[in-house]
Amino acid sequence: MIKMVGALLRRIYSSFATNILDVPPRLLAFLLLMVLLFLPVARLDLYILRIVTIALIFAIFAASWDLLVGRAGQVSLGHALFFGIGAYLSAYLSRFHGLPLWATIPLSMLFCALVAVLLGFPCLRVKGPYLTLVTMAFPLILAVGFFALDPPFGGEGGIALTRAQRLFPMEALYPQRVAEYYLILFLLLVSAIILYKIANSKTGIVLVSILDDESASKACGINVTKYKLLAWAISAFFAGLAGCLYAHYIQATPPTTVLGLTTSFYPVIMTILGGIGTIYGPIVGAFILWSLMEFTLWVLTDFFQFIPFIANAGDELRIIVYIGIIIVFIIKWPKGISKFVVEKLDELTEKRELDERKKK
Amino acid sequence: MIENLIVFGALSGAVYALLALGFTLIYGVADVINMAHGAFYMLGAYAFSIFLMNLGYNSITNPSSFLLLTALILATIFVGFVGIIIYRLFVHPLIENPLSVLVVTIGATLILQQMILLWFGDVDMAVPKLLEGYTLLLGLKVAYHSLLSLVLSLGLIAILGIFIARSKIGGAMRAAAQDREVAMLMGINTERLYMLTMAISASLAAIAGILLNPPAASPMLREWTYPLVMSFAIVIIGGLGSIKGSLVGAFIIGYVEQAVRVFFPGMGYLQGAAALTVMVLVLVLRPRGFFGKHVEAE
Amino acid sequence: MPLFEVENLTKRFGGLTAVNNVSFHVDEGDIIGLIGPNGAGKTTLFNLITGFLKPDSGTVRFKGEDITRLEPHKIVNKGLARTFQVVKPFRHLPAIANVIVACLSPRASKKLEWLKSPERKALDMLELVGLSEMMFEPAENLAHGDLKRLEMARALATEPDLLLLDEPFSGLNPIETDFLTKSIQRLHLDGYTMVIVEHKLHALMKLVKKVIVLHYGEKIAEGSPKEVSHNKKVIEVYMGRVA
Repeated sequence: MIKMVGALLRRIYSSFATNILDVPPRLLAFLLLMVLLFLPVARLDLYILRIVTIALIFAIFAASWDLLVGRAGQVSLGHALFFGIGAYLSAYLSRFHGLPLWATIPLSMLFCALVAVLLGFPCLRVKGPYLTLVTMAFPLILAVGFFALDPPFGGEGGIALTRAQRLFPMEALYPQRVAEYYLILFLLLVSAIILYKIANSKTGIVLVSILDDESASKACGINVTKYKLLAWAISAFFAGLAGCLYAHYIQATPPTTVLGLTTSFYPVIMTILGGIGTIYGPIVGAFILWSLMEFTLWVLTDFFQFIPFIANAGDELRIIVYIGIIIVFIIKWPKGISKFVVEKLDELTEKRELDERKKK
Repeated sequence: MIENLIVFGALSGAVYALLALGFTLIYGVADVINMAHGAFYMLGAYAFSIFLMNLGYNSITNPSSFLLLTALILATIFVGFVGIIIYRLFVHPLIENPLSVLVVTIGATLILQQMILLWFGDVDMAVPKLLEGYTLLLGLKVAYHSLLSLVLSLGLIAILGIFIARSKIGGAMRAAAQDREVAMLMGINTERLYMLTMAISASLAAIAGILLNPPAASPMLREWTYPLVMSFAIVIIGGLGSIKGSLVGAFIIGYVEQAVRVFFPGMGYLQGAAALTVMVLVLVLRPRGFFGKHVEAE
Repeated sequence: MPLFEVENLTKRFGGLTAVNNVSFHVDEGDIIGLIGPNGAGKTTLFNLITGFLKPDSGTVRFKGEDITRLEPHKIVNKGLARTFQVVKPFRHLPAIANVIVACLSPRASKKLEWLKSPERKALDMLELVGLSEMMFEPAENLAHGDLKRLEMARALATEPDLLLLDEPFSGLNPIETDFLTKSIQRLHLDGYTMVIVEHKLHALMKLVKKVIVLHYGEKIAEGSPKEVSHNKKVIEVYMGRVA
């Protein structure tokens, strides 16, 4: 009996060693995962927990964008559309129709996928920069619509949610936030794995073929329309998830946020920062972006206070600094930080192998 | 009612043409979707006000048109210069990758916005008109400023058109617009060309910002999103990279904006949505805008 | 009934008539050459046949069915495949993935032999064209000659009944030309019907049984390679008028 358990453990370890320790990207992902899993255990204050949680939500959002753009080549500057629809719909259904979250969230996600397909049809012929710019329009138009229809949709603040519509309605705030954190982390993992698997499946290969050369793909007998719409639907599905989680986490659906231009821009920045087409790149990018936002705040308020200019500057200087840093990152690593790290790790592994071979 | 629409739609259409032209120019020549275009518009208006203040301008005691003109020119040059800096620092290193360029121009916009906020604080700045006073046109009260803007805009567009069509640099622009690599092989220094184009593009946006004379406390002043969104709508309707298209698109959008003001007074926020809706409708029918390159085969 | 026929096909681009009332047919097992000076409309004709362009008038019939207005991918799935004059590889994908895409088309999936995976079929295709060593190489790293073969492997992977090759010999060195000639002969023996557009006439004339000549969008000659190369009008068109 003990021998069997021992053999099993050894099997698990060797599979772990070959699948995770030997493959740099997976190693990175694993390390990041460990950090994230044990974060709340470190007894962090609510403020940081909230920041990381929102970063997780945007990581899901960015990963969904990457499938659409990095793999299928449909550059969308209006991804906030699905974020917003997810947020508003789930908020609406739970607040005004009393439906439970485990029903409203999947429903909203499916609705987002449906919208993506419906909108996709007329937009199929729109290509390149035109597609990029027209996608920008949709969330902005919808935002105005929701803003105007105040009685149900809550105007500037969006739909106000009560405790009943929280992700984990508990009494004590800290445990509740921790529970929400783990739930969202879990959903991020599931979403990331699904998106990654799709991106690297045969469907993913077809999507890349559409990205590279649509005509050639058609000449291979591929129904490009079907695959494009599929990419849109899957991407919208997960973007909607992010939107729902956001709405229920912050308990509101402010249209300027959930359907805003800035929100549409976030996944773009995160993906370029982290590495386009990788699925895990945008997740890395999301964390870098969010950490930088807070890090610059901390550094400026704690370290440089003695310079009067900085002390009086307030928020603007911080934003300038962190955006500046991001731009520097993008210029320095145009292929994305995660791709750069992976390449470096690959080089190190190759060097190690070469050295070992030389020794023999 | 209708005269209101026709006259004012045309007036704003002309200045919108300047704005859109700048956007379509840098796209046509350098393949850059410049998300900072709205920021240049905003910067132009602010720079104009600052130069005026520093030149001792006061609308009551010193309403000198000479001062206004000087400030206009200074502000335009200043914004053109900012455009060059942004191009050299942010865009040029990434020029091979349009998506990265798009992202850094977003970053540049946010930085510019924060810089302005830092400098001015949360105060709404009034952008003075170039000319005071009104005249009557078709029974409507039309500001001299608006008429001057119309003339200035159309004049500038004409000059720009001739410049691009006839001059050597204009030829270089047209060459780069067609094929960047071949242009480089022909000896065109694309980096310098792009910088110049960016300067022109930014200047046009700045002038638009000054001429459109956004009233204080309007979202048009402190936000870069509205002029940016309008630029998109116009160049998409007209066709990216097409000067003729920008003109046509600008007037269409000018009229749409005015129509919203006339038929839905008090609901200013509908203007952007209306413009975008028109854009979407046009794209569905003409996937490349009215004058964009029409390609039938793959 | 001919496998494939084109009737009165015409295409205008503004004032220019690129293809003017062209008609011809292809029987099963034929191997036909399509030649003509540059600008004669050969590639336009291919684009019309394969659905990338819609004709102004005329019909295209394949296996008795009118395919004139069908979309490109549907035409491929009926059994009509093509290669492109300028190679169009999927740059980000390795060679084998390029072919796997074609194996994922509905037609190829249906015709997949029992227990054969798309990956296996893709590998077979690569072996057929002699590219199996490069299978993991990203397409963007491949040399021109290899890309041409990749293009062929992709087209073959869709299990075509009719294969249209657009200048398959362009840019190939003598060794590659020889290899391609032998490959096409082998394919012909295996029963593939082919229409080949080509400028390298010496390579082409050895392979084909019938030649069609286009000039300014019109068919000006049709016949065996020998007949066509002695045709006065054809000589005039290629060489210029003899004084």
